[in-house]
Amino acid sequence: MFQRRAGRRLAGISAAAAAVVLVLSGCSSTPPSGAQGGSSPSGADEKIFMAPKFTGLAYFEVARKGGEDAAKDLGVDFQYIGSDQPDATAQIATLTNAIPQNPSALVVSAIDGNAVAPALKQARSSGIKVVTYDADAALDARDLFVNQLSYDLAARTMLDAALLDSPQGGLVAFISASPSAPNHTAHVKIMKQLIDSDPKYQVFHYLDTVQYAGDDAQKSQEIALNLMQANPDLKVIISSSAVSAPAAEQAIVNAGRSGQVFGTGFALPSSVKDFIKNGDATAFALWDPAELGYIATVAAHQLVTGQITAEEGQVVDAGPAGKYKVGKDGEVDYNKPLIFTKDNIDDYDF
Amino acid sequence: MTFVRRHAWEFFLVLLVILAALWSSTLSPYFLNPVNLLASAKTFVIIALMAFGLFPLVVQGEIDISLPSTLAVGSVCLGELSIRGVPLWAALPIVLALCAALGAVNGVLVAKAGLPSLAVTLGTLGAYRGLAYIIAGDEGIVGLSPDYVRLGSSWVWIVPASVLLVPLVAIGFAVLMATTSFGRYSYSIGSNALASRMAGVPVIRMRVTAYALAGAVSGLAGWVWVAQYQSARGDNTDGAILLVLTAVVLGGVSIKGGSGRTLGVLLSLILLATIQTGMQLANVPGTSQTLVVGTLLVVSVGLPRVVVLVRQRVPGARGRPAPAADSARNAAGSPEDDDRDGGVDVSTNEPTSVGVRHQEG
Repeated sequence: MFQRRAGRRLAGISAAAAAVVLVLSGCSSTPPSGAQGGSSPSGADEKIFMAPKFTGLAYFEVARKGGEDAAKDLGVDFQYIGSDQPDATAQIATLTNAIPQNPSALVVSAIDGNAVAPALKQARSSGIKVVTYDADAALDARDLFVNQLSYDLAARTMLDAALLDSPQGGLVAFISASPSAPNHTAHVKIMKQLIDSDPKYQVFHYLDTVQYAGDDAQKSQEIALNLMQANPDLKVIISSSAVSAPAAEQAIVNAGRSGQVFGTGFALPSSVKDFIKNGDATAFALWDPAELGYIATVAAHQLVTGQITAEEGQVVDAGPAGKYKVGKDGEVDYNKPLIFTKDNIDDYDF
Repeated sequence: MTFVRRHAWEFFLVLLVILAALWSSTLSPYFLNPVNLLASAKTFVIIALMAFGLFPLVVQGEIDISLPSTLAVGSVCLGELSIRGVPLWAALPIVLALCAALGAVNGVLVAKAGLPSLAVTLGTLGAYRGLAYIIAGDEGIVGLSPDYVRLGSSWVWIVPASVLLVPLVAIGFAVLMATTSFGRYSYSIGSNALASRMAGVPVIRMRVTAYALAGAVSGLAGWVWVAQYQSARGDNTDGAILLVLTAVVLGGVSIKGGSGRTLGVLLSLILLATIQTGMQLANVPGTSQTLVVGTLLVVSVGLPRVVVLVRQRVPGARGRPAPAADSARNAAGSPEDDDRDGGVDVSTNEPTSVGVRHQEG
């Protein structure tokens, strides 16, 4: 019995060893050809795929609407693809399986700009144009990046909203999404610098420690509650996460502190309409995600048709959504911040 | 016939894989392209390695949900060592040892301190993730040296090199679980830990070993991550545990411990990869994809129980069990069946050994 078992073990180990030898002997570093499934894209059957960080988040669904509208206006096929798991592995699998379908262009919000880069480069080498929107990927992995707001403008917009809430200033706390979200990290850093240096915002001072809520509403509420308890003189909680900002305001309302503490930052107007109408909060900010999706899709189409080549100085003509110049490193700045107050919040339906 | 009955769950999975492949090929015209399929398989290697690492732990009746966090520590350490100029042959053993140590910490807390494994690994899930963030910083690590990423950009004929790790690791675990005392003891501990201890099984040592092994395999998966995605960041594979655990349980490994085979885990991974690839090639919405995977998990846990209930209600059915009915015993691990093919106690490990012999042959 023992010998039989040992024999089997030996057989197993030698099989594994043989396999290793086989692997090493046949190794190559050239990707196999034949990965393409369909015919090469032509004007008649242009397909644009939009891949958000993950599906199901209201913000991305609004951007999807813009993409669909653009595709309809341009007369091209549009698909919205992705996993509902906020995980880079899931997004990479989605992109890997998009390539064989041979879309003309991919419009992507990268969940991890470096990890998705090999998949996007693979797409580009198969002749697929790649446009990032909302969150950029590594420079050489995409043709264009349509940036909603430059980091500096985003930081100023949120501080302006905070000033509308608390004109006399006071103590500010920040809730961010995660340490690995470069846009959130940059927003907080610049807001701190502006409070330190810009006279307009000198009425504020801030808590240096940044809390991370991972785009989770419940966690954001807990953090907001803890911040209020730990800092009785807290005036404003700012978050550039469209999940955390309304959640922080909800926590303030729940704690009965509305009017004394204010939540603000980026939020979909539909998620903060009640707060603003009830007078719990004065201002939140964002941009129009639908228009962002529209411009990104138009930019993708113009790359496919060769109208633009992502060179600096060229212009993306998004018709009703305006004209945008391509800047350094293939970046297109949308830069149209919106601040929602009780005067204008009814104008927005997203 | 006994062979078929003992491996009913595996046959059931093979049937499901065939059905899933047929379904996928009707969903998308791009599915039946070997190069595409292998490129998709590449995205499943990391899940597969973690699933094999988790497998002996589940057999022992334990769980480790911190494996994706352990992977992140592994990937960022490899990234850090790479940019410090340490060659891969030196860095990989260091990282594997570190990840094994992280696993062993879980093992000691569970086996020695007697804490519940779900609570312990929920804690280390957060702690190891935090550690990975501290090591790599907020931005993560890019610009790895070529030897670290070679695995991710090499092909054997049309097969990506990293995909070949899966059968290799599978054979390793099949041998380990079927022919070594570690494997025998694992089934025994999973069937009845107290009785095993009284029979002289070194329960604590076996548990710590299983946790350390799971950690080391996650470290290996961390290497696959940096090789395939040429970067490392604190949030690598955050959220992958659902798929990993689904693969193990769908493979016929009872969540109560004491039963399950490597072949089943391998087949369930192939099934999950087939379904995922088919749905993604057909651009099925993300929520529907998760719904399908979640339903598979519930079905794989629930089906054996349903079959047992049906057999109790219908006495006639007991005499001629259908393949699915037999699979109930494999996966449900109910005590009455343990001696037949579910678990393997210290004295008779034949059933599983027989299974694996056929599997390798």
